[in-house]
Amino acid sequence: MKELNHGQVLSTLARADADRIKALAETLIDQVGEVEVVASRTGLVMLPMQDTAGGTAFHLGEVLMSEAHIRADGVEGYGLRRGRDLEAVMAMALVDLALARDISKADCLEFCAAEAAGQMAEDDITLRRIEATRVDMETF
Amino acid sequence: MAYVATRGGERAIEQSERLFRSDMGRIDQARVAELRHALPYLVDRVMGEASLYDEDLAALALAQTGGELYEVVLLLRAWRTTQPRLSVAAPIQQKDLFTHRRISAAFKDIPGGQVLGPTLDYSHRILATDVLTGTPFVPNNVVPSARAAPAHQPSVSAWQAENELLDLPPVEPVQGNDIPDLTREPLLFPSKRAHTLQSLARAETGGVLALGYSAMRGYGQAHPTVNELRLAEAEVMVKHPRGTSFSAGRVKVSQAEVVSKKGEKLELGFAATLGWNEVKCIAAATLDLNTKGAAKGTATEEEFFLYHTEGVESSGFCIHFKLPHYVTFQSSLDAMRDAKAKKAAKCMEPAQ
Repeated sequence: MKELNHGQVLSTLARADADRIKALAETLIDQVGEVEVVASRTGLVMLPMQDTAGGTAFHLGEVLMSEAHIRADGVEGYGLRRGRDLEAVMAMALVDLALARDISKADCLEFCAAEAAGQMAEDDITLRRIEATRVDMETF
Repeated sequence: MAYVATRGGERAIEQSERLFRSDMGRIDQARVAELRHALPYLVDRVMGEASLYDEDLAALALAQTGGELYEVVLLLRAWRTTQPRLSVAAPIQQKDLFTHRRISAAFKDIPGGQVLGPTLDYSHRILATDVLTGTPFVPNNVVPSARAAPAHQPSVSAWQAENELLDLPPVEPVQGNDIPDLTREPLLFPSKRAHTLQSLARAETGGVLALGYSAMRGYGQAHPTVNELRLAEAEVMVKHPRGTSFSAGRVKVSQAEVVSKKGEKLELGFAATLGWNEVKCIAAATLDLNTKGAAKGTATEEEFFLYHTEGVESSGFCIHFKLPHYVTFQSSLDAMRDAKAKKAAKCMEPAQ
């Protein structure tokens, strides 16, 4: 499988199973060492949408997110996930930091690849269920 | 202006709240999880009207208020104010939506085809009364197709523009914090389009339907045909501190485009909301379609429908009437008595 880029890694981690990502982060804590916690909080991300009738971007509403921002040796680790699980998002930031500092890189990438494969499989099932509702209409 | 101070109500207020909550009993995580699981469309509706997306919070608000929807939305809007804004995501593009349902009433052969997705549109409306006598209702399983539906579908209006059926407007290059935001600035008229669409996105479903329906029945200028209706999931695209763009997760959104003939081209109305709520989107898009040229004080005039479909304000104004108005009402009574006395005095005057 082709290695995921940074954006794909982050997107995968943001959707990863909370218990599994926490378990991975537990294995990284000692290796990462001391970190500065820049942010560990819940907050809102405003979500705009592009309107097709007027060409205007407008706000649909806000999404509850958990955010973790950490730093070690000048390297940033960041996590942002839906919901209010501060442990899971801190785990995401730790994995991001570990990858940026080449700590347990193989384990982290293997985790991301497995989660991405699981997410793709989940999407495939969803889309095959949706496809079952395809309708072909005829006008008489 | 005068006020009446009331004493002795503290205990009654405390007991009245207890009385309200006593029928609902204990609220725990299991109840919230059950509500979230069992009532996804109600959860979606309140997330849209609250303008706050989180299924757990919405289910908790439903549990805490016994499903009193105006209280649910008020509770969520109030909670929202306790949270910082972390960022503004990149605007959702129609073509990037992970699409679950996409239908058109205007064209049967839209590019990408039509998928009904989850719907009760064509089902028999039969109440499963056997459940009440001990026979559970177990839905039949979906039989998945061998191949997957395309996750992303093109916009129908883009295809129509290619075929010169309508003119698509140029996209305004406004992003992030520059997008006008009703939660930080007042709604003024004539309304900015971003404010109009944001207001409709968070509007109360019943209010939007009532006014949209009046336009559909002929009290508007244009009759809508659903050009494209979508229920989908949108990626919330944010930035890492190093600048990498990534999805922080998906949220459910609904979107409707309606069209009407205008001269040689089609004219579009648009609406979208958080969560899956297609009735609201079709009605709101109909109001958007009918805005141009609407007479002052009619249901399709922007000021009229935006002010009257804001659920927290309208329900709040409505329920304020049940609060003590003793002084103003006494003033009305005084005026009535005075008029009556003057009339009686006039009758008593001797004839000239």
